[in-house]
Amino acid sequence: MAEKMVNPSIFQHLQSKIDEETLVGEELRDIVNLLEKQEKSAQAALSRAHSTPTPEVSSVVVAAESAIRYEIDTIQKLSEAASKHPYYKYNGIWTRNIQDACFTILLCGWLGGYQEVFSSSSASGQLLTIEQVGQVMKVPVNLKDRDSFHLTIEEYLHALISLIDELARLARNSVTLGDYRRPLQISRFVKDLHAGFQILNLKNDILRRRSDGIKYRVKEIEDVVYDLSLRDLVPKETTE
Amino acid sequence: MDKQSDQPSSPFLPMFETFRAELDEHHDRRERIVKASRDITAASKKIIFALQRARQINQPLHQSITKSNELHWENIRTQYSAISPDLQGQNAHRYSRNITGGNQEFMESLSFQHYLETQTLISYQDASARLAELGNPHAPVTLSLEDYVLGIFDMTGELMRFAITAMATSQVLPGSDVPSSSGHAESRPSGIAVGPSAEAMEIDMPATVSESREKGSRVHTRRRDVMQDLRQLRATLEGLDIDRSSPLSWDVQKKMGVMQQSVEKVEKALYGLIVRGRERPKGWMPDLKEEGRRGEVESY
Repeated sequence: MAEKMVNPSIFQHLQSKIDEETLVGEELRDIVNLLEKQEKSAQAALSRAHSTPTPEVSSVVVAAESAIRYEIDTIQKLSEAASKHPYYKYNGIWTRNIQDACFTILLCGWLGGYQEVFSSSSASGQLLTIEQVGQVMKVPVNLKDRDSFHLTIEEYLHALISLIDELARLARNSVTLGDYRRPLQISRFVKDLHAGFQILNLKNDILRRRSDGIKYRVKEIEDVVYDLSLRDLVPKETTE
Repeated sequence: MDKQSDQPSSPFLPMFETFRAELDEHHDRRERIVKASRDITAASKKIIFALQRARQINQPLHQSITKSNELHWENIRTQYSAISPDLQGQNAHRYSRNITGGNQEFMESLSFQHYLETQTLISYQDASARLAELGNPHAPVTLSLEDYVLGIFDMTGELMRFAITAMATSQVLPGSDVPSSSGHAESRPSGIAVGPSAEAMEIDMPATVSESREKGSRVHTRRRDVMQDLRQLRATLEGLDIDRSSPLSWDVQKKMGVMQQSVEKVEKALYGLIVRGRERPKGWMPDLKEEGRRGEVESY
């Protein structure tokens, strides 16, 4: 029979585990803070697409690709550090930033970047699959057989929604820049993505709430296309 | 650009179909876990309810209690072994938020029963082992640190209910004799007054307390009661140093206040028990409302 109710060693053990987890969290957060800074510069490079005429957009792509290279280096470090621990125990620390990094890669790819990962070489308007994004990030995707760092389907879907939001903005700005063809390309692309999202059985979570907004983006882009066709500004060769 | 404009369906559909299958699997698994967690919570609550019929500590539970709880423990075992394949590998942490409710309630009932039987706090390792036994033997369910700590916080509420019920029904704070190495003041049973008046007060103490104290001076045991245990547990839980950025911190902050209130409720009840004491006729209640009555009491 013990002299006291609580054996002090119980809580010494707990405290040391808590301290250990705190240290792991701090280490990972440091890496993620760096990633966040690099994401900002990648997004800054990409946002020039809104003010760059379409023929010159390749300069934006080059700048974005080199900015994203820093992100990828940091994701490598994160992957290495995080893979020592249970993935889902800490993924709350980085999931937002991985979604954002994924978005920068998707947008860069859509604008014509990462030609080397696309099977068929083409100009802009391409979607990088989750596997291709993983290839660019140099991380595995949708891991199920082992507990290690990876890109999840949910993170990829979040990034797709961010891409749709950004493309709705780009559709308007393309018109301002005198490119009347791109809104049609965006309209088609976003409608196809929307059709994809519609077959998902999303539960009441943040992904569901964000994906509910896609239809408004679709409409925004349709409005741009409508404005163009009303004024007979739609280039004839690509009319649907 | 070589696009097939006339293609009616989205070229991305095959990709989304894969995603749909993955997400459906994830949601189904999550729902199974949530449902099991709810059932485990309900069964644990029933166990705790039965345990509250106990009146003594540090001895085997009465048969009537263990018997009625057998069914509920079996139910918990069924639930855990059904979902343990869903909680393996990375999924252990992926669904930790979904199973934590059940795990905490399980922890609460397990630690409460352990306390009633042994008057000690079950360790994290022992509790993890008990949970592992309940799941599939080859794929045990993991008890997280969070489940353990938060379950212990909730258990203080049960200790409070237990202590107050015991005091109300038998006018005694449950405790038991434990070996004593030294006689420092803080290890005194809560029910015994400290100071010069201790001797005089002793006659007012419940018989069981003074008896054990006499016995204690002979065989080097002393009485340890629920109040002391709750205070030690409170001090220990308050002493946990949890980083503010950790998810555990938020839950602990919420439960800390409730735990402190529980301890204070027992302190107040014990105060009432001592202050009303034995010199007063049973059922006597001090009239604290009217100052004017003081004269009457003095002349009484």
